[in-house]
Amino acid sequence: MRVFLTAIAVVLAITAFSPATAQTVVGVSWSNFQEERWKTDEAAIKAQLEKLGAKYISADAGGSPEKQLADVDGLMAKGAKALIVLAMDKDAILPAVNKAIRQKIPVVAYDRLIEVPGIFYITFDNVEVGRMQAREVFKLVPKGNYVFIKGSPTDPNANFLRAGAQEIVDGAVKKGDIKIVGDEYTDGWKPDVAQKNMEQILTKNANKVDAVVAANDGTAGGVVAALTAKGLRGIPVSGQDADHAALNRIALGTQTVSVWKDSRELGKEAASAAVALASGKPVDKAAKWSGGEKKVELQSRLLAPVPITRSNLDVVIKAGWISKAEVCKGVSGDKAPAACK
Amino acid sequence: MWRRTGLDLRLLLMSALLVVMGIAFHALSGGVFLSPENLYNIAQQTAVVGIVSTVMVLVIVARHIDLSVGSVMGFVGVLIAYLMYTSGWPWELASLAGLAVALLVSMYQGWLTAVLGVPSFVVTLGGLMSFRGAAFLVADGKTQPVNDEFFQRLGGGYDGGIGVVATWALTALVIAGLFMRLAHERHSRRRHEMALEPLWLDVAVTALPSVVLIAFAWTMNSYQISGKGEPQGIPIPVLIWAVVACVLSFLVHRTRFGRYVYAMGGNPDAAALVGIPVRRVTLLLFALLGLLVTVAAVVSIARLNAGTNSLGTGMELYVIAAAVIGGTALSGGSGSILGSALGALIMQSLDSGMLLLDVAIGRRMVIIGQVLIVAVVFDVLYRRRFGEK
Repeated sequence: MRVFLTAIAVVLAITAFSPATAQTVVGVSWSNFQEERWKTDEAAIKAQLEKLGAKYISADAGGSPEKQLADVDGLMAKGAKALIVLAMDKDAILPAVNKAIRQKIPVVAYDRLIEVPGIFYITFDNVEVGRMQAREVFKLVPKGNYVFIKGSPTDPNANFLRAGAQEIVDGAVKKGDIKIVGDEYTDGWKPDVAQKNMEQILTKNANKVDAVVAANDGTAGGVVAALTAKGLRGIPVSGQDADHAALNRIALGTQTVSVWKDSRELGKEAASAAVALASGKPVDKAAKWSGGEKKVELQSRLLAPVPITRSNLDVVIKAGWISKAEVCKGVSGDKAPAACK
Repeated sequence: MWRRTGLDLRLLLMSALLVVMGIAFHALSGGVFLSPENLYNIAQQTAVVGIVSTVMVLVIVARHIDLSVGSVMGFVGVLIAYLMYTSGWPWELASLAGLAVALLVSMYQGWLTAVLGVPSFVVTLGGLMSFRGAAFLVADGKTQPVNDEFFQRLGGGYDGGIGVVATWALTALVIAGLFMRLAHERHSRRRHEMALEPLWLDVAVTALPSVVLIAFAWTMNSYQISGKGEPQGIPIPVLIWAVVACVLSFLVHRTRFGRYVYAMGGNPDAAALVGIPVRRVTLLLFALLGLLVTVAAVVSIARLNAGTNSLGTGMELYVIAAAVIGGTALSGGSGSILGSALGALIMQSLDSGMLLLDVAIGRRMVIIGQVLIVAVVFDVLYRRRFGEK
């Protein structure tokens, strides 16, 4: 209790002494900062807010949905005029979010959906990621036996990805050009699980597999290891996230595509959206979206990811995502992609 | 009769279960399950869990537990991969560095357990979280590819079998060893004027594992990757697992250390009273665990061709389950290395078999969990029936 009172006192003190300028304060509530990727997002949000003349304040829930409720309250008490929330739990966060909306403080749901009217949802289009994965593989193998190595069964994104991939191959499947010979979830997105699953699918089909649509780069790594162990080379494999190891595989030719979701782009757009909403202006390129579980209609911005293949490896290098040396590690002479020459 | 053969009825029953399961899956999967290729897969897929569960048996026998094995394996695995890939170290040096870190970790946990007397459950529960975090910190969560072709062979894979000739030579050697041991035993029994079992019985008991070995060698020699000149033979990870299991069995049956571990598990107070150096043996046991976790880490990154920060997540459950299905009593004091191998094989066969049958992931998890329960129920009934403690 004493800690709580002290916290309130500190918050009041900060509020009282903060200069009453017109500077917009944007509060960001992180679910769990331990994950590496959010550091990239934070840097992008900070940079964009600075550019727009807004102030960045933040709180980290450390993986606890309960703490995140208090965090959001704290951010509002510190004078946030707009919130960016990466929800630890999409349902547990509702009380805090509703409170903010009632106080006319706009809330941007960052990367993870919060399904409440009045929310602005910003993320990469996961269905489009799935389409891109299948599209690049389909370009190389329009006919044959396909395997789908899906993401974790507990992650809704796994199904969005799979649905997107299905859109691309659906016609060919109905025509009988493509036969789906394996369709497995990967418990916890674990590469070694993907490897075991792939081994069993290969055995079951006497190695007659022509293409693999894997949901991310981790599972793609497991798939490639399984294929290599059976001496199967040159089978297209998709992925996602532009993991450094995967980009190296693309340069080496063992993986076909990795769909890149540049989180710096996401951070930048979220910051712009928050500032626009705080001053009551519409957000650029916003659109109506109701693809969530409860079909609530929300304002949203779905960013398009970029498929990285052999031919455009230079995109990630130029963006400073990875160094050329890392992409091209172990890539030799004449088979090297243009980016490595 | 059973006592006279020296065979373990429980292990025989488990082997029978494995055979029945194999035949059932074979029929259901349209003749795929018992194909050399699939058996080769399963042998390889089981090796990592198998290696760690051999020593987990001893840890549980000594009335301890280690919940951190999966996390430590992940940590050490990523570290070795990182040293090789990012720092450019040769694989031998990287593996030794990994071993040093694993020993440090296990000595730290062993010290807390043995010297300070903190329950190992708590110590390693903390380790389960900490070392998963450490696995992330090593390379900032980035996957570290493993590209050294020689090193990759340690995990099986394309060039990861020892070949036909070596497989047969090894099999012959082991069988010769088994029969020589039998001859030696009969000879010394006769010399000490102890009762001898009938020759046919002794020969039959030794012939049984020999037949299994020959069948295994033949199966591994029948698997040829298409486009390759020679069949695979025994996969290297399985060979490593076998060597580990033999060494540990030797430790258990022929050394003071092994007897101390069982004595400590059977009755810790009595063990301390008769002068067994409980602390030192516990520390040694943890060190042994550290060594084998490193071996498992090497095999698994070699197999996946990468060290990832999720490596070994949840493995502790499989390892402990393999030991328990293999008849290790969680109350300590009894358990067998061979049993853990059978336990690991049963679990992996179930998983891989159901994958072949396209059983959805949710159902697979339900079934495997219940099999664990069935194994423990069987264990309880068995002990009650045969009066074992």
